[in-house]
Order: sequence, then C-alpha cells, then structure tokens
Amino acid sequence: MTSDQPGLYVHLPFCSAICRYCDFAVMHAGEAKRKRFVEHLLAEVALAARAWPDSRPFDTVYFGGGTPSLLPAEDLSRVLDACRAHLMLASPAPWVYLEANPEDVTPGACAAWRRLGVRTLSLGVQSFDDDALRFLGRRHTGGQARAAVEVARAAGFDTVSLDLIFGLPGQTPRAWRRDLATAVALSPGHLSCYQLTIHRRTSFGVSAARGDLRELPDAEQAELFDLTHGVLGQAGWPAYEVSNFASSPAHESRHNRKYWNHTPYLGLGPSAHSFVAGGAFIPAHGAGDAGAAGVARRWWNEPRLPRWERRVAAGERPVAGEELLGPQALATETLLLGLRTTAGVDLDDFAARFGVDLLAANDALVASLVREGRLVVRPGPEGRRMLPTSLGLAVADGLAAAFDLPLPS
Amino acid sequence: MTIDNIRSFCIIAHIDHGKSTLADRLIQRCGAVEAREFRDQILDSMDLERERGITIKANTVTLSYTARDGKTYELNLIDTPGHVDFSHEVRRSLMSCEGALLVIDASQGVEAQTVANLYLAMEFGLAIVPVINKIDLPSADVDRVMEEIDRDLALDPFEAIQVSAKLGTGIDDLLEAIVGKLPPPQGDAEKPLRALLFDAQYDAYRGAVLLVRLFDGTLRAGTRVRLMHSGAEHRVEEVGCQRLKRVPSPELSAGEVGYVLAGIKTLSGLAVGDTLTGAERPAAEPVPGYREAKPVVFSSIYPMETNDYGELTRALEKLKLNDTALIYEKDSLAALGFGFRCGFLGLLHLDVIQERLEREYDLSLILSAPSVRYRVVLADGTEAWVDNPTFYPDPSTIKEVFEPYIKATIMTPERYLGTVMELCRERRGVDTTFSYLAAGRMEVRSQLPLAEVLFDFYDRLKSLTQGYGSFDYELLDYRPGDTVKVDILVNGEKVDALSQLVHRASARPRALRSCERLAKTIPRQQFKIAIQGAIGGQIIARTTINPYRKDVTAKCYGGDITRKRKLLEKQREGKKKMKMVGAVEIPQAAFVAVLRTEDDEDGDEDRS
Repeated sequence: MTSDQPGLYVHLPFCSAICRYCDFAVMHAGEAKRKRFVEHLLAEVALAARAWPDSRPFDTVYFGGGTPSLLPAEDLSRVLDACRAHLMLASPAPWVYLEANPEDVTPGACAAWRRLGVRTLSLGVQSFDDDALRFLGRRHTGGQARAAVEVARAAGFDTVSLDLIFGLPGQTPRAWRRDLATAVALSPGHLSCYQLTIHRRTSFGVSAARGDLRELPDAEQAELFDLTHGVLGQAGWPAYEVSNFASSPAHESRHNRKYWNHTPYLGLGPSAHSFVAGGAFIPAHGAGDAGAAGVARRWWNEPRLPRWERRVAAGERPVAGEELLGPQALATETLLLGLRTTAGVDLDDFAARFGVDLLAANDALVASLVREGRLVVRPGPEGRRMLPTSLGLAVADGLAAAFDLPLPS
Repeated sequence: MTIDNIRSFCIIAHIDHGKSTLADRLIQRCGAVEAREFRDQILDSMDLERERGITIKANTVTLSYTARDGKTYELNLIDTPGHVDFSHEVRRSLMSCEGALLVIDASQGVEAQTVANLYLAMEFGLAIVPVINKIDLPSADVDRVMEEIDRDLALDPFEAIQVSAKLGTGIDDLLEAIVGKLPPPQGDAEKPLRALLFDAQYDAYRGAVLLVRLFDGTLRAGTRVRLMHSGAEHRVEEVGCQRLKRVPSPELSAGEVGYVLAGIKTLSGLAVGDTLTGAERPAAEPVPGYREAKPVVFSSIYPMETNDYGELTRALEKLKLNDTALIYEKDSLAALGFGFRCGFLGLLHLDVIQERLEREYDLSLILSAPSVRYRVVLADGTEAWVDNPTFYPDPSTIKEVFEPYIKATIMTPERYLGTVMELCRERRGVDTTFSYLAAGRMEVRSQLPLAEVLFDFYDRLKSLTQGYGSFDYELLDYRPGDTVKVDILVNGEKVDALSQLVHRASARPRALRSCERLAKTIPRQQFKIAIQGAIGGQIIARTTINPYRKDVTAKCYGGDITRKRKLLEKQREGKKKMKMVGAVEIPQAAFVAVLRTEDDEDGDEDRS
C-alpha cells in the first residue's frame, strides 16, 4: 500500500459554478479559455520535468480541482500523454485518480475515463439531502448523487470515493447519520467526510461575517465528528486519517498518503504544491541556490490562472514560492501529519531521523494523553508506534502542538 | 523671601477631575517653564503615572508669582500620591502645606473621593479653596456644582474659583486666591532647625535629593544635619528650590520648601517623615507624625524566562534607588528557578513595582501569592519569622502562630455604617467602634488581622460605600491566629508559587477561588486537568478543566502542508510563554489571575 515513489498532481481550476464553501483556486470558464489552459498545462509539464530531480517513476496521477470531469476526456488524455513523454510514469500504468461531479457521471463518460486509466473516481457528492445540497450551492440532487455512484460502480473503477460534508449549520445528528447510512449502503469503497470549514474569502465567509450564517457550535461539531467515526467504524469503514475512511486497506488513497509521509510529489497547474526530499537541487527561478542546506524542499505554483499562464507562456516555471525544510520543520510535519493518521508515528524511525526520542522528551504529556484515551503507544514488529485513538484524531492539531521536539543542534 | 510671601499648597481632586492639567497651567502661568519644553502633566513623571492617572511618587515645584498687589510670592505646589499604600507619604505632603486647592469637575460635580480628600485635608487644618474646573465643557453645570459644594462639603460656594485648566480661563483669579486666601506658613528662623523630609528622589549624578519643608531655623551649605529618627548625620552640600530644575540658593529658612543635597549615595536608610535638625544645635522635638515605612506584604518575583534573571536583578537595583520602601533578597523555587523575595508597603505598591518591571524593563514575571509576615513559635520553643509559604514549618512542629494586626481607621458617610461594620466583622475585626466626625460622617475604628486587609479589603470598602469610604491603617501588634498553608495542585503536582498562608476559616473559600480562577485562565488541553486546593494531604477545593473535544482541521491534502506547519509553529511559540507543571501548560495570566484581588466581574477597577 505504502509506496515511496513520487506522485503527480494536476490541478484543473474550472467549475461550472462556484460552491459557497469552496476556497480552492477555481473559476468559471468558457470553451476557449479551457483550450488555452490545456495548452499551457502541456507546456508546464515540459518545464517542470526539466527541473524534477527524482528519477523514480510516478506511480499515482491525481486530477483534482476544480472539476476535472468538466474537461473533455481527450484533453485529459493529451495531458497524460505529455506526462508520459516528459516524466517517468510507472509501468504498466500509474494509479490515476479523477475528481468528478455527480452531474457529469454518465456511462459514456465513465467508459472514457476508464480508457484513460482512471482507477479511482472521486465523486463530489457532499450530501444526499436536497436541502443541504441547495444550501451548499451544489448543482445536483440527492437522487442524482445516488445514481452517479451506481453508474460509477457499474463502470468498474477499482475504487469509487465519495466526498461528504458535515457540520452544516442546523444539521442534526439524525440527518448526518442518514447521509452516512446512504453512503455506506452504496458501498463505494472510500469515503472522505469533511467537516464544513467556513473560509473567509468564500460566499459562506461573507455570509458569516455579515452574521447571516452561524457555524455549528463546537460541542455539536464534536458530536458529529464522534458520530462519524463511531458509525463508520461499526459499519466496517474505519478511519485511516482524520477525514478519510475505507472499507478495506486496498481502497485507501495511495496518492494522499504521499502528502502525509513526505513522499515526493510534483504538482502542476495553478496553486499546486510540490515536494522533494533529500535536498535535491531544484532551480526554481533560473540559477538557484545550489547546495543550500535543506533536507527537503517544497514549492508552490502561482495561485491565479492569468499569472500562471503568463509565466508558463514566458517559458518559466510558474513557481510562486518555495521553502527549504530543515530537520526541525520536517520533524514537526512528521509529527503533525502522523498524528492525523491511524498509522500514527513510528517512534524508532523518528528517533533515527531526527535524534529525538519523542516519548522520553514528553513523558508527562504522553502519560496524560494515554490516560485520557487520546493516544496508544504500541510495540510492533517494525518498531514502536504512537497512534492516535479516534478521541485523539479529534484533537490532532492540538496534540501535535503540545509535543516538545528538542532536536540536537 | 519673607515668610509672609510664601504659600505652600497641594491640589486634591477626584480622579480625572483635572488635577494634573491644573498644575501644568499654574506652572506655565508662572513662567517656570518655556512653552517649548512644556509637556502635559509635567509633575507626573513616570509613564505609569501618566497612564493610570495616579500619582505614585509625589513631585514638588516652587513657582514665583507677582500678584496684583505688586508683591512677588513664592508658591510651593506640593503634589500628593493617591493611595492608601502611600498614605504615609500623603500625610507628610499635606503636613508641608497650609492650604489645598480642592478641584471639582464642573460636569461631574462632587464625587466620593472629593469628600474623602477634603476630610483628610481638614484633618491637617489646611485652608481650602474650592476650584470648579472644566467650565468650558458643554455639559458643565456650575450652579449645580455650587449647590453641592454648599450641601455636601459645607464650604462657601461663592469662594469657589471657576476655571478651565485646559483653556487657561480663570488661572489668574486662582493665583490671586492662593495668595489672598491661603495663610502664609508660621515658623521661627531663629529657633533650632526643624525640617520635615517629605520626599526623597534619586539623581544619578548627585545621589539622594531630599525634599524638605522647614518649620523652624535655617539651612545652608556646610551645615551638619542630623536625621532625628535614624540618627544619621550628613554635611549639607547644597540647598535650593525645586523649580522644574533644581536652582541652588544660599539658604532655606523657616516656612520655605526646597531640596537638600548632602552627598547621600542611596535612598535606602532615608525615611520619609524624618526630621532634619542641626547637629550642633538640635531641636528638642522632631516634627510630629513620624511613622516608619515598613514592608508588610511579601511576594516572590520570578522571571517568566529563567535567563532573564540577570535583567531582573539589574532592574530591581535601579528601582530600589528611587524607592526607599522596596526590599528584596534572593529566592528560588524548583519550578520557577531563581527570583527575589520582595517586601512591599501594600498591594498597590506591589502592583506598581510589578508594572514598572514589566514595562520599563520589558520583563515578563510570575509573582507568588502575597503574604504577611508571621511569627511562628515552634514546639521546641524556638521562634521563626515566616513570610514565605515555601518555608512554612511542618504544622506538627508548630506550637503557636502569631499574625500581624492593624489599627484601621475608616471614614464613611453615616448611611454605610452598617455595611462597614459588617465588613470589619467578616474580616475578623475586633474592638470595632465608631464615632461621629461631623454631621452624617462617621469614623469606624477596628483592629483587624493585616492578612484580611491585604486581599480586596480596600476594594470591597470602596464598592460597599460607593467610593465614599476612606481607609488608613497602622501596624498594631502580633496576636495568635489559626493559620494554615493552602497548596494548589495541578494534576496532582504542587505549584509552589501559588501556596498561600491563610486563616483556617478562609482556607476553603480562598482555595476554591484560586482553583476557579486557574480553571478560567489555564487553556483547555487535550486531557482533563484537575485543580485542587489542599491543606497538607487533605483536599479542600477542586475544579476541573475539561479537555478539548475537537481541535482538528478537516482537510490536509493538496500538499499545502507548509501553512499547517506554520500555524502549529505559532502555537508552539505561544507555549514557550507558559510554565509547565507536569504536562500542563500554565500561562503567566493564570498566576496573575490567582493573585488579583478584584472580583473578575469588576474588571480593571481603578484603585487610586
């Protein structure tokens, strides 16, 4: 399941309408604009490939957005071809992911995507409740969502994944339980259940600032979070990350896992992030600071489409910013990402990489957290691990911040 | 300057009624300061005073004024500090005056503090000139204020001078009233020297600057003087007038106010209220009313970051130069590292020192719970003085504990008599008596344990009497008391800095209050936190801080881990400002909250 080969992410920033909660880099687009975008994306593949230092083949390709299902399959195919031409893709084929809106899912479209090599189809269902969907500003109904899942399942994807949102203002545990039950009954293989976050620069954010929209109170959010983990766990869909659930390990996301364990990834398209480990030299802006003492490097593309296009058109990599990650930053991320997954943190590996025995440096804290039922420390065949319980996942952000990381200087 | 042309006075006012602005205007009008070097509120020199609007350290200035009668007068404006902790200094300042300007805000009218101040001034036999200030305000109601002056203060409202200190209106009339209505000092330049030391300041170049009011005799450079209470002798190097700068003069004589330089290096050893006399021809009696300024409240100060200890040491050394009452010695606690055990005149004094350390020296501090000093007689017959809970002996070895008592004098309007008597009773007051001072005005005397007065007594009195009550005290003696040590435990670990010595009857409520305040100020964490108050092994109070139920963001993909890590790093940065007790992070604010005397609901009550 876990692979150390790099992953490829392609961001397609178009939507037919902007959802009220969405803070991603998305926009409406007409036919001409989409065509121009694809040309630039093809150009970026070549630019990025020249600077990409990792020679191992990419074993995942993720089309995210935005609404990738808006792009004609031929366009997606051209992008994949370009990637194959310039970058090393796994053979016989990488695991391809595609995000799709239920209203775009037809047997014909699914067949086309299957031909492209898509193995996980991720559906932006959000809810099966028509009122909730209207409230969220989605363009489909609950019935359409159910039908889309059926069609996708029938098309033979290895995994169908559903995105669901909970914690809507006024949402009752009963209503959310009904959504979960519907999702489980459709047995798609993978579920992402995201708590609604109200971001400032969204339609919801504006409503909230005006006082028209009230976030669900903490206690109720916590109740829905616990309910989610309880219901899905009992149904045989255990969480493997704060918001992600799978009916079997085979359905867990290979691609997202890379973000969580510092596996290299290359992001293409506006706002996409990339990461390489091992201090490899990436000239972000022409001649770079070769030999800089970073243990890893992360960079991110221009978030806005026009600027991203201008830079690509000028033959530059459209990188907006980058950072070198030293041992302290990597250790912090390892802890914070590890505590978000049920796999937890490999303590021996952590000690070997960063020279800190997490338990010894935080003995009183760990004892309190274990007593509270937030953490479990377990000796394993591959080394000691520190794992969050579902109570721990609920406070994963705070958990990570509470630890001391006295790295040897 | 003949004694008849001298006027010494102070300005007394309710807070915000414009005392400092009025002082500024008088100074400006008398040309003591050039417009370009003029700063508003010249007399309040410390930032802290400016901000709080209270005068902590009295300042004094001598002005020359040529009156309409053609004569030139020497006006000594003597500033007064404004809190019971410094009442000793207030009294010494009032003693140096013949008159007082009583400032009343033209729109606010007579307020509680105005009355309290008036009575204090009258106790010293000062002539009073009422001043109605802020007559320029649209909301000014001079007629109403005049009625109040008549009714509430029993002063002649037609004697009141109407001014606007802000605009300078009426300042000339006020100066004429100072000259015409306040009496000149009395005294005999031929008699042996008697000069009241009413304030002392520290000058980095000249050492101690003594501010004195001469009652009898003369004082000039070369005179050998003796401080009648301390017995110390010094040779006078320079005398002069405290204008905005020091201006030397050949001599000071009876009735005059001025400064004395005598090569004294530090202020420690000088006691405000002491009397200077000639070593050759000493006076028979000192100026009456001397009282030693003794620290009565003790607390330990620790730097929040242990490597700030050096900086704290230097800061205290500097503050000490200017503050005769502050005492300190080294101290240490396992959890908090090195710090100082300090003695203060009262809680406001403690507050002021803490704020100055934090503000002027940019230190972040933790203070232990304040305590009085107990006399402990042990079973083996030996005695110990204990003001630090850390060193409180094992109760099984203690035979008897004695605690300090004070004689409290409370002045209050008659209508609050009942509540004031009740307050004294609550605070274990004994021999509480009352008497009539004047129509409607009572004086309550009570013998109270000092420990009961330390915590919120003054604030409670002020609120019970709606600000009209005034309070003064002096130390009386030590009496047996049932004292216990209350410890505070956080998840079973004792927090030394929060241990308190209290009367057994107050132990439970005090412990509970501490626990509740900690529960409010310690942030929720990922596990349950039990906060307990205990006497020895016995738990007497308990609160719980429930853990977070949810503290996680839903999404962490798309590769933007950087933003997430930065949030966490910021959180961790905040954690550095916390003290760890076991696994529990305790912010400085929690230590402060436990020590606060006010009720939480009152917020930042003005305590001047």
